[in-house]
Amino acid sequence: MGTISRRTFLKGTGAAAGTLAAEELLFGKGKSLLPVARGEAATPEPAESWAYSACWIGKQDCGLKARRFGDRVVKLEGNPAHPRNVGTLCPKGMAQISALYDPNRLRRPLIRTNEKGVPGEFREATWEEAIALVAEKIKAARAKDPKLVVWQKGRSKSSALYDTAFTAALGTEKLHHGAFCSDAGYRACEYTIGLNGVLNPDYRFCKLAIHWGYNLTAGGGNKLCWITFPRQFINARERGMKVVSIDPRRHGIGPHTDTWIPIRPGSDLALALALANEIVRLGTLDTEYLVKYTNAPFLVGEDGLFLRTGGKELVWDTATNSAKPFDAEGVSPALEGSYRVQGQNAKTAFELFKEHIREYTPEWAAGITDVPAEQIRELAKAIVDTAQIGSTIVVDGVEVAYRPVGIHTYHMAQQELGFQTVRAMLLVMMLVGAVGAAGGQLSDATWKIHANFEKFGTLKVSEPPYNIWLSNSKWFPINSNNTAVVSLVLQDPAKWGVEKLPEVMIVHMANPALAFGSQRDIVEGLKKIPFIVVIDPWLSKTADLLADVVLPASTLEKYEGPLAAGDIYTDAVALRLPLMKPLGESRSELEIYLDICEATGTLYGEKGYIDQINQALGLKDEFALPLDKKPTPEEIFDRWAKAQGLKEGLAFFEQNGVWVKGPVSPKKLYGWAAEPRFGGIRHRFYGESLLSAQRQMKAAGAEEWAWRDYTPFPTWRPPTMESSPREYDLYLISYKLIEFKQSRGHQLPLVAELAPKQHLWMNPRAAKERGLRAGDEVWVESHNAVTGETKRVRARVALTEGIRPDTVGLPHHFGGEARHPWAADDGPGAASLYYTGPGYIQMTADQSFHVKVRVYRAKEA
Amino acid sequence: MPKYAMTIDLSRCMGCRACMVACKVENNTPEGQFWMYVFRLEEGEFPETRLTFLPRPCQHCDNAPCVKVCPVGARYKREDGLVLTDFQRCIGCRYCEVACPYGVNYFHWQSPKKGQYLKWGDDAEVRERAEREVPPWHNPDHDKRYGEERRLTAGAVHYKGVMGKCTFCVHRVEKGLEPACVANCPVRVFEFGDLEDPNSSVSHKLREATRFRLLEDVGTEPRVYYLNGQPPTGEHRQLDAVKGGKGE
Repeated sequence: MGTISRRTFLKGTGAAAGTLAAEELLFGKGKSLLPVARGEAATPEPAESWAYSACWIGKQDCGLKARRFGDRVVKLEGNPAHPRNVGTLCPKGMAQISALYDPNRLRRPLIRTNEKGVPGEFREATWEEAIALVAEKIKAARAKDPKLVVWQKGRSKSSALYDTAFTAALGTEKLHHGAFCSDAGYRACEYTIGLNGVLNPDYRFCKLAIHWGYNLTAGGGNKLCWITFPRQFINARERGMKVVSIDPRRHGIGPHTDTWIPIRPGSDLALALALANEIVRLGTLDTEYLVKYTNAPFLVGEDGLFLRTGGKELVWDTATNSAKPFDAEGVSPALEGSYRVQGQNAKTAFELFKEHIREYTPEWAAGITDVPAEQIRELAKAIVDTAQIGSTIVVDGVEVAYRPVGIHTYHMAQQELGFQTVRAMLLVMMLVGAVGAAGGQLSDATWKIHANFEKFGTLKVSEPPYNIWLSNSKWFPINSNNTAVVSLVLQDPAKWGVEKLPEVMIVHMANPALAFGSQRDIVEGLKKIPFIVVIDPWLSKTADLLADVVLPASTLEKYEGPLAAGDIYTDAVALRLPLMKPLGESRSELEIYLDICEATGTLYGEKGYIDQINQALGLKDEFALPLDKKPTPEEIFDRWAKAQGLKEGLAFFEQNGVWVKGPVSPKKLYGWAAEPRFGGIRHRFYGESLLSAQRQMKAAGAEEWAWRDYTPFPTWRPPTMESSPREYDLYLISYKLIEFKQSRGHQLPLVAELAPKQHLWMNPRAAKERGLRAGDEVWVESHNAVTGETKRVRARVALTEGIRPDTVGLPHHFGGEARHPWAADDGPGAASLYYTGPGYIQMTADQSFHVKVRVYRAKEA
Repeated sequence: MPKYAMTIDLSRCMGCRACMVACKVENNTPEGQFWMYVFRLEEGEFPETRLTFLPRPCQHCDNAPCVKVCPVGARYKREDGLVLTDFQRCIGCRYCEVACPYGVNYFHWQSPKKGQYLKWGDDAEVRERAEREVPPWHNPDHDKRYGEERRLTAGAVHYKGVMGKCTFCVHRVEKGLEPACVANCPVRVFEFGDLEDPNSSVSHKLREATRFRLLEDVGTEPRVYYLNGQPPTGEHRQLDAVKGGKGE
């Protein structure tokens, strides 16, 4: 039956939309109507095909497959075989299809023609000219000192090729984004239990998950992220896992909690200490774990340092009633008590801990945290009861200690007392032996001891001059490497004891001018670097304000990897494969770096980029790339795949997208089951080296703000922001939204449409008290309690009962991320209101995302 | 003949709106049109605040008001349960939009090739790369006809002046695939299948969970069942309402 429909007829007469259609039909320029009449497609369709790749926009590199007709990609879907996302995509992953076609993407290199620090004026250049210019600057800087070239990453989609091999080939200084992410938590876990991670529960067996500031519904989990944690979480909920959510804001946990504890921002350390106090008072502790696997039984002398004989820490042996080395044959250490040893009154570290936390009662904490004492007691009891101290289960044939309670925390670590707060959380979990137990407290995907554990055991403060991130300085013996601190240094190097200042910066998949807490300092500091290269698919805010050269990066049109693809329980690896030809002359970062190394004479030969790639990817013998021939990305990954034992090489990933290697052994995952247990180290219950570091810092003349938190046990003090004048009566918090990723989200219109404008989220009671209603334009003004400086931005009010009345929220991701029609005029970025410097950075140089603000209608002065 | 239905498990939903974006890419809907919409609802007063995330596709009602009011028979219900729009019959009178109590209908005020997020046609290189399709992710499935009735019923990029709404992805269902929202949900909120088949996923879910349907009292008899939750009430307030485009 097929049909000239009424609609086709109208088209033909030109009466409706489409004069062009009318012309085609009437003057025979276009398609015949006969195929339509027969119900056929007018022209033969391009062949449908599917191609595998990995998501580019987010953190997890979720496996995806692209539906194509000919060369045209029409949809992205999840790869069902990929353990992390199992055939699904989050809204960002689904929306990134527009990036493949976005006319606002950069097609050719740009060279700046005006001064930096203001919106850029650029001219287009060829790749030859741009690479030559970049190479010239790099060569000049390296000739003096390779560290005068700085590589600043935000996200790296191939740490082997970029973070390791490229920076090694050039010998650059490396900066990253961890200080704005969760690195204070990483440092706390590296220090205490030797793992490179923050905290997440073993959802497979967990019975009580404590989500501490963890933004489940939007992102921000420990190491993994969307999609994997929500999947594991929801399955655990279905199994009956209980959840307690500790968060000033409700939305992070959504409906998925049994209890919401809306804690006062910045008081988390007080809550953790009170939980420890109550658990110790209840008296049910994992004594075996504390005695055998931590330094809690070690004897501490009157000077706060461990007592030692022959370099070995001493314990009080209850069998012989004498002090013995901790690893003496048949020793039976006391966990508590005071003893006379080496002419001193010595106490076990645990005894000192009991004294230390004595004042930190739930009643004390209630006043600080605004959490009722009874609720604190209930939570402590739930932790103890759920922990089932002493029990075990069998996992894949291996008997593992079973303590099915765990904390999930990550970005919450980036507050002024974050390092000690995460340490305090660890101590709480250590009291019940949950660290590294089945169902309990995990930190890294495998129980591998990080080099920082040993390094942090003997912290040393060195003499100036310091490098630009003040490594080993008198201010930050533990130092996460913070670009905001670098920006302070660049503004006043003499003050910070820095002499060598960078000459070239390469910015890789990062938008520091927008996102790195304290926007003003970042721009003022970084603009002092003489030559900045930004690699980005769009003209990001950072490129706009700070780039001398912008190199256009491709998105899903490149090879990258190897990409970790495991979900904690299953091990897997994947690659990013190009789905289309690059748009314009955009290129992969890998190809850009091969060119830069070639042009700077650092590509070929020993220690060149090719050699570094061989080492970073483990390419040996017949798989090693020859050091005298410039490789293509395909050659690199084909060799890598074959070196893994995949005979088909790259074709394996073209056909499957991901290589699933199999289940992770419980011996690798759980510290209790590792051989040796916990990697053979003693967990640092007592932080002796923190005390030693404090003494060195004082002796070196560091200011109090730097050394005051270097204490062996986490110690409460009110955050600096609490000293702001009383009119700054609201806490400002920031958080991620599920629609966006870091500072590259608004460039995807399909998600930008879901959250086009920034809002200041307020509790209706707080709004009413200030005469404000939803939609009102307000000034949000922050105050630096140390310097007295204030900053303010304009935003529109949105109301929610899901936030404390004394707290307002300004989400991340806004502020004009790039020159893009969907990113313009979207409202202020949160980082425009935070500070960096004393009181607003941590003892580990990590950023603090807390500040006090006041909010008032925008019409007032 | 299958009797298609959808279940939506409210105890699983994270409110991420991936289903909204998956639907949009699959069906090529323009700015401001959300054939799948997710409500982020809040109720209660701090600190007794509660959140509910509620995905709302077309309900494909057995007693569909939109079918009853369509003057030209463009809106019709198939034997398998899908309620569809024949874009070539539709005259854009918008009676279905008025009649539907769920607000799932969208009128194409302009050509659906306008308001497609970016200016795809202005740039020669982009135009060629997209093979002149607007949006570039134009889904060729929509150019085909579906059902024994052979009607043009899939996707959004057809004509100015007609209605659009969720089709349960008729073009996917006829290929034995799940609707895009169902297939893509990161935490498997949705199931879709045959109510007449006791072993279908929807039958399983309906046996094991409490359920409600939206606006049960008005007698529309939806084919969408909400599990493990409570119907929204007048006490619920919407957060993060999506108006469409770059607006507020």
